[in-house]
Amino acid sequence: NTRAIATGNGPPRYRVLMSDGVNTLSSFMLATQLNPLVEEERLSAHCICQVNRFIVNSLKDGRRVVILMDLDVLKTADMVGGTVGNPVPYNEGQGQQRSSAPAANTAPNKLQQQNGSLSAAGSAAPKYHPPSNQFSKASAPSSLKTPGGTQSKVVPIASLNPYQSKWTICARVTQKGQIRTWSNSRGEGKLFSIELVDESGEIRATAFNDQADKFFPLIELNKVYYFTKGNLKTANKQYTAVKNDYEITFTNETSVVPCDDAQHLPSVQFDFVSISDLENTPKDSIVDVIGICKSYEDVTKIVVKASNREVSKRNVHLMDTSGKLVTATLWGNEAEKFDGSRQPVIAIKGARVSDFGGRSLSVLSSSTVVVNPDSPEAFKLRGWFDSEGQLLECASISDVRGGSASGVNTNWKTLYEAKSERLGQGDKADYFSCVGTIVHLRKENCMYQACPSQDCNKKVIDQQNGLYRCEKCDREFPNFKYRMMLLVTIADSLDYQWVTCFQESAEFILGQSATFLGELKEKNEQAFEEVFQNANFNTYEFKIRVKLETYNDESRIKATALDVKPVNYREYSKRLITSIRRNAQLG
Amino acid sequence: MGDVHEAPRPRIAAAQLAQYIGRPVCFVGRVEKIHPTGKLVVLSDGGGCNATVELSEPLDEEISGVLEVVGRVTNQATIMCMSYVQFREDKSPFDLELYNEALKIIHEFPEYFPFG
Repeated sequence: NTRAIATGNGPPRYRVLMSDGVNTLSSFMLATQLNPLVEEERLSAHCICQVNRFIVNSLKDGRRVVILMDLDVLKTADMVGGTVGNPVPYNEGQGQQRSSAPAANTAPNKLQQQNGSLSAAGSAAPKYHPPSNQFSKASAPSSLKTPGGTQSKVVPIASLNPYQSKWTICARVTQKGQIRTWSNSRGEGKLFSIELVDESGEIRATAFNDQADKFFPLIELNKVYYFTKGNLKTANKQYTAVKNDYEITFTNETSVVPCDDAQHLPSVQFDFVSISDLENTPKDSIVDVIGICKSYEDVTKIVVKASNREVSKRNVHLMDTSGKLVTATLWGNEAEKFDGSRQPVIAIKGARVSDFGGRSLSVLSSSTVVVNPDSPEAFKLRGWFDSEGQLLECASISDVRGGSASGVNTNWKTLYEAKSERLGQGDKADYFSCVGTIVHLRKENCMYQACPSQDCNKKVIDQQNGLYRCEKCDREFPNFKYRMMLLVTIADSLDYQWVTCFQESAEFILGQSATFLGELKEKNEQAFEEVFQNANFNTYEFKIRVKLETYNDESRIKATALDVKPVNYREYSKRLITSIRRNAQLG
Repeated sequence: MGDVHEAPRPRIAAAQLAQYIGRPVCFVGRVEKIHPTGKLVVLSDGGGCNATVELSEPLDEEISGVLEVVGRVTNQATIMCMSYVQFREDKSPFDLELYNEALKIIHEFPEYFPFG
């Protein structure tokens, strides 16, 4: 019989009456992850099931409850048709050793109490040794002895609730945050949080102030400990993605003891998203990624305006087999101690996706960064990168502004691709680089008179009395400086594009300073024209920003040249060769 | 043999000399050895293979670095040089391996790189 037990909050818990043909026992609780079995009516009265994993819990009043962690329904109720055998309720305290009769596959489990270890029917042996439940004083190979010789009962994380104060769990630390301090009107303090995992589930734990100081150096990521006694309270889902209704707060009674026998506990679980898929991931989502650190930048210090604190940050660039590159930002301690030499494999759990420059990742205090993890994905990546990956020219999904000189992260596009991919038509500007040839320059209105103050480029108004007024500086000047705003048409083999070039780019293209050009225009028209003719039909690498702009109800794509450089033919050739080979493979 | 300059002369690597016997070609390679008479030069291409270039008149200047030679391939698979150009490597070095890669592509996709 199954009976639903209503719990205060959270999913319902089912209590099950089990029988092995000889005895019945009603103290079985179904772990919540098995709830669907009841809800879908696969587990119903009279069905025969095989219990694969379970844990025995001792209640305060001495009664024992068996929590069923994993079971398979072997024969559904309608196939069985009725009670099997003539079971009588099992009396606790009765006989210790029962002879084990290897049951046939279809027979229900035989409950055997033998120092707390039970065997299951057929070939399925429990993969989990239940914590020793010492109900008999006979010496038992106890799987756990806490220092001081006290015997504690290890309970599954899933069973933790605020109504039980004395508990011990055996769990692995899958995430350890940094110590964070706060200061508000009610005082100050510090805390750090960890995430714990065992086979039954996960839970978050936080240590404050003194406990933070005490446990922070002791607790290490990925290690397993016995945690005893702490406060359970309802979880604040805002701060965490951990699936548990409750979370633990360490108290001064909490103890943390390393556990040696922990192979059975799951280690840090990752659910990797491929970097190219990140482009479709909504911003602010939390993801796990793994990639080779193709390059990384130096650590820089920035001041957080909100708290006026200095914080270290470092950008690292990760690449995976999709050929795409993403920039991940590390903060604080992690940024400082990061070592990206030898292009390690980096796995990040719980990074936040942002739409900075397209798509990039930010490592949060709740994220975990593992360098060269011991996992099959890491080995695959390493193998791929060492053979082909490092030759691959990758496209970055997070733009790197004025960053690497080697252009490893530049977003190369042909003008045709830029248009067909509708770059700039989103709500944010897009950036790309291309190789193009100037085919036309507009020399009319290529310059304007600008405010002579440093850093102010606003157009000045000619007062006609020898003075020029700048509205932004709210001043009048007897002079001005010429500033370039040159419209050029660039073309490549497939398409063309109008691009606006400001001062630096224009001066580079024309090969003359704005001031000189201003003079030339006034004094020597022919020489002025010659400058433009010479500038025509030169090929350069352009770094372009495109954005949709609306002016008087009309929306147009505007392209601006951020940087113009001579073509690096070697890199260009390599890109072309790679592109040709890639296209040839696609057939 | 001025006709060499009027015919299309495909760029080849040293390994392809045998296939182009009797035909005008363009060969780019790095100077490895110059024969004391000044009439023979050995060039190595991007793939590391050597080609021997014969000159109709001995060299009157020092040559080194990367050379582009236009000439006809002899029966002995050497190149009878009609004219040569020295590549300037003052601004940036000439990437001979990359040139070799490009050569491979040119020959792999003749439909896109027709020779006359």
